[in-house]
Amino acid sequence: MTKKLDLLDIQGNVLRPYGRFGYPVARYVFLHVSDGEKGRAFVGAVTKSVTTSVTWGAGPDQVPQPDWTVNIAFTYQGLKDLELPTASLIGFSSEFVAGMKNRKDILGDDGPSSPQAWDPIWRENRVTREKDVHIFISLNAHTPGLLEDSYAWLKGMIEASDGGVVLLSGHLGDNNAVMDYQDVKVVMENGLPTAKEHFGYVDGIGDPAVEGLTADPQFVLGRGKQMADGSWAPLATGEFLLGHIDEAGEYPPAPNPILLARNGTYMVYRKLHENVATFDAYLNEHGKHFPGGKELLAAKFVGRWRDNGAPLVKAPDQASKDAFDAQLAAADQQGRDALLSNFTYDDDMSGAKCPFSAHMRRINPRASLEFTRDPNDVPGSLKVSTGAFDTPGALTNRRRVLRRGLPYGDVKDRSRDDGNHGIVIMMLNADINRQFEFVQQQWINYGNDFKAGNDKEILLGNHSADERFASKAVIQVDPNSDQPPYFLSKIPRLVETRGGDYFFVPSMTALRMIASGVVDPT
Amino acid sequence: MGNISGKAYALTILSPIKNGIVTGEEIAYADKVRDLLQSWNLLPNSPMTQVPQTYLCRYFVLDDVYTESLPGASVLDTFADLLPVVPDAVRRRILPKEDHLKSRYLVFSSNFHGGPAGDVDGYLRGMWNAISGQIKQVWGYCYGFDQVNDAASFVGYMKKCQLPATLFFVGANDEPLPEQLKALYLKQEFARFAVENQGLEAAVLRANYHAFITRVAPTNLSGPTWEPGQYRL
Repeated sequence: MTKKLDLLDIQGNVLRPYGRFGYPVARYVFLHVSDGEKGRAFVGAVTKSVTTSVTWGAGPDQVPQPDWTVNIAFTYQGLKDLELPTASLIGFSSEFVAGMKNRKDILGDDGPSSPQAWDPIWRENRVTREKDVHIFISLNAHTPGLLEDSYAWLKGMIEASDGGVVLLSGHLGDNNAVMDYQDVKVVMENGLPTAKEHFGYVDGIGDPAVEGLTADPQFVLGRGKQMADGSWAPLATGEFLLGHIDEAGEYPPAPNPILLARNGTYMVYRKLHENVATFDAYLNEHGKHFPGGKELLAAKFVGRWRDNGAPLVKAPDQASKDAFDAQLAAADQQGRDALLSNFTYDDDMSGAKCPFSAHMRRINPRASLEFTRDPNDVPGSLKVSTGAFDTPGALTNRRRVLRRGLPYGDVKDRSRDDGNHGIVIMMLNADINRQFEFVQQQWINYGNDFKAGNDKEILLGNHSADERFASKAVIQVDPNSDQPPYFLSKIPRLVETRGGDYFFVPSMTALRMIASGVVDPT
Repeated sequence: MGNISGKAYALTILSPIKNGIVTGEEIAYADKVRDLLQSWNLLPNSPMTQVPQTYLCRYFVLDDVYTESLPGASVLDTFADLLPVVPDAVRRRILPKEDHLKSRYLVFSSNFHGGPAGDVDGYLRGMWNAISGQIKQVWGYCYGFDQVNDAASFVGYMKKCQLPATLFFVGANDEPLPEQLKALYLKQEFARFAVENQGLEAAVLRANYHAFITRVAPTNLSGPTWEPGQYRL
């Protein structure tokens, strides 16, 4: 019998990107636990309303889709103040214990991304105990009105905790107003919701396919792991959920007892500010010189065209893009999915279509890291290396993350960087250090695995303002052509970290155990 | 020969450190040596950057090597192990035996450009000439080092402490260190030139390239170039 996940035990935000399920608005609320016993009672009360991953519908083993969703997660300090046993606490990973702020050197959160520049709630976190962030609660809703309903409900729950939990303020909103919560919402274009972020890119394509989650073989194409024969298989559940076998055939390290960990996962919460004016100016400036024009250059930054996410490996120039668009327009949902996600870099090992420093190639290199060149090959030419690894995706399969989250704020003036606009991204993985932190450190802020020296990922890289360490990126061309490569020079910091932390997202079982104080590691 | 790969040489030195206490201080000789080596981390750069042709090197103090003999595995041993009538003393005799080092060791390993013949003497003489002061401090507590007073005796002492290498990774290509440092410098400068001169007309590009070549002087190894031990701009 094939593996099936316990959807009723897994929190809904783990397996569902809510934005794609009809919830265009969300609110993230952070709490401090002031009293362990009352705090646990609060967790118990909220748990009754927590949204699971169960299938929505009217059928058997289904529940009706809710108007708004609730999910909950905890920092290490939060679990400690909820009085989890020490023998359980010591089983959590060291980076989770340390928290995002203390991992700034690994993450490259320096200069304008450094913790002293974060929103007050994150700046004050882990400085004085009263301001420590303990609990994360996310509310996603169909409409702004329903979101307010959900927030009113949550406020009532906090009130009813009788001082057990305290709402932490300190999120910067419009005009730097200090807010009690972080609001996020889809970007609207001509009055219609889009899947775009503020730079104009369609975001969130290509979420990994997880074993036990989908029976649809089509969904796995381009989203799972590539096998030796070129076919695709879903990634092992243990890459994204604790208590399940991972890609190494092992259970990921997790706290005891197993019921505390199983069907839970770690979540990285990051608020990323987008410097839209700097981005536009940089793109316009280089767009004037780049052969192929501004929109192709914008696509080269990410590996996908801005308007519809067409991957450059399938649509490397305007003519092929036009053909791709026609196919996409004619395709059904499954066909669209395949067009956008089902591809490899096998025909683009030299990066002539999708550059090595493009966002998509850095975040998920698929099989493209197994490459080599022979001394007699044309300079700049690389090809698939075979034989060194069991499968083509061996170097990538253990670095995948589930990405959740939505843009925040509105761009009211594109000529300014300092508005309230960016994206809150939440990444879920079984091992923060092996997955999220590795990608951030080695693939976003460094390029050696891509034979790109210390070139950073173009959009997210922590590009330095110091002229001596100016960032560059190479837009490769076909090595057999007479075209010179294009150099992006002095790349400015386009995205800045504004805060965040590492959270543990327990299963429903674990939530009930935490709430009733029966977590027993012995 | 295992010590040589191309023109790179793998030197491995193990010098026994005296067992004893530094006079006037409550610290063992070996701990003192480690302390001294760790103080190099606080310097702007390692003294080893002054030693010509050093690709990569490492110092550490080896506290002990714990070895265990293989357990007895003959048929009789197995019987002795299984039969409850065998006296405990006999049973213990076939258990693995422990072995430890007689002293703690200063380990120095270096990959350097030694040429096709592996010129260890030349390298060690260069080392003595460059940093004899530090050498005397670091090796001062080692057995037999009191015999060392010049480059020749240093070479002799080190070769007595040398262990043959069997396999090693060369972290650099075959060229002499000044060649490699110049190559790194040129690569970095050329990348910068390419970025800064992108899209210029051929005539301007040619003129700029000429100026560039004049400035970076590719055949001049003495400069401009990277300093030994330089790891960033």
